[in-house]
Amino acid sequence: MTSENSTPHNTPQDDQLRQAFRTYAATLSTDLTPPPAAAILFRAERRRRRAAIERAERPLLIMQTLGTLTAIIAIAWLAYRFAPHTLPTLNPTTLALAIACTTLVLAGCWAMLHASRRPSP
Amino acid sequence: MPSSLEHAAATATVLSELAFQRLYDANATSIHSYLLAVSARRDVADDLLQETFCRLLLHPETAARLDTLELRRYLFRIATNLLRDRHRSGDTTPFADPPEPTTHPSLDNTIDIRTMLQALKPRERELLWLAYVEGMDHAEISNATGLNRLSVRTLLFRARNKAKQFLAPARASL
Repeated sequence: MTSENSTPHNTPQDDQLRQAFRTYAATLSTDLTPPPAAAILFRAERRRRRAAIERAERPLLIMQTLGTLTAIIAIAWLAYRFAPHTLPTLNPTTLALAIACTTLVLAGCWAMLHASRRPSP
Repeated sequence: MPSSLEHAAATATVLSELAFQRLYDANATSIHSYLLAVSARRDVADDLLQETFCRLLLHPETAARLDTLELRRYLFRIATNLLRDRHRSGDTTPFADPPEPTTHPSLDNTIDIRTMLQALKPRERELLWLAYVEGMDHAEISNATGLNRLSVRTLLFRARNKAKQFLAPARASL
């Protein structure tokens, strides 16, 4: 409001424009009732909580993604394992271990998913 | 969740409910009028006003380092960005339902300015409102809108000339 290239121009038309805008703004101000501040505080608080929950659930989401990937790889591997082919296969112990690991990862993911979906008290 | 607790505690210390109430009382009406004049929809203005103050509350560290005047400009900046986001998202219902005040202290001007606002683009409405109602200079408008200072000068000049065309008949009729 102080610099030489600042907004106010003082031609009669500018004055008229400024007057018109300010009159209109004053009219709107008397006519408008902003929502109560408490409503905004409540909205902000709710959003902050939601953001905190999302932050806390991020590791679960990562685990769920990992679990899905593991399942896909396991299915692909099993399909390969039982399909007729000429490549060497795993011995029974390794196979049993792989299946056990996959089952454990999937069970862990399912348990976390189940826990995250349970409504908090 | 220690991080969220710390965050909440920081908010509480930086912007108490009372301080927020004071800030809101001082700025809400101006920003509400600005949003209504630019968006031309009361529901949008109500929603964006809440969103503006919500964003301020969610960034308490910014609020903490600004004085009253800077905070006011910052609020206008948030409001302007929200208006622009809404415009970009395609929710650009034309100025079909212009805000109609119930009282008419200066009937000629009020009617003319409503016609003028209908014809102006949202950005032109923003610039003229900030210049004439909020009394901001080019640098302040640049801060509030995120536009380059020289662009503000040019765009405001054009907007002003466009607006003057709508005032001309009113002057002639006086």
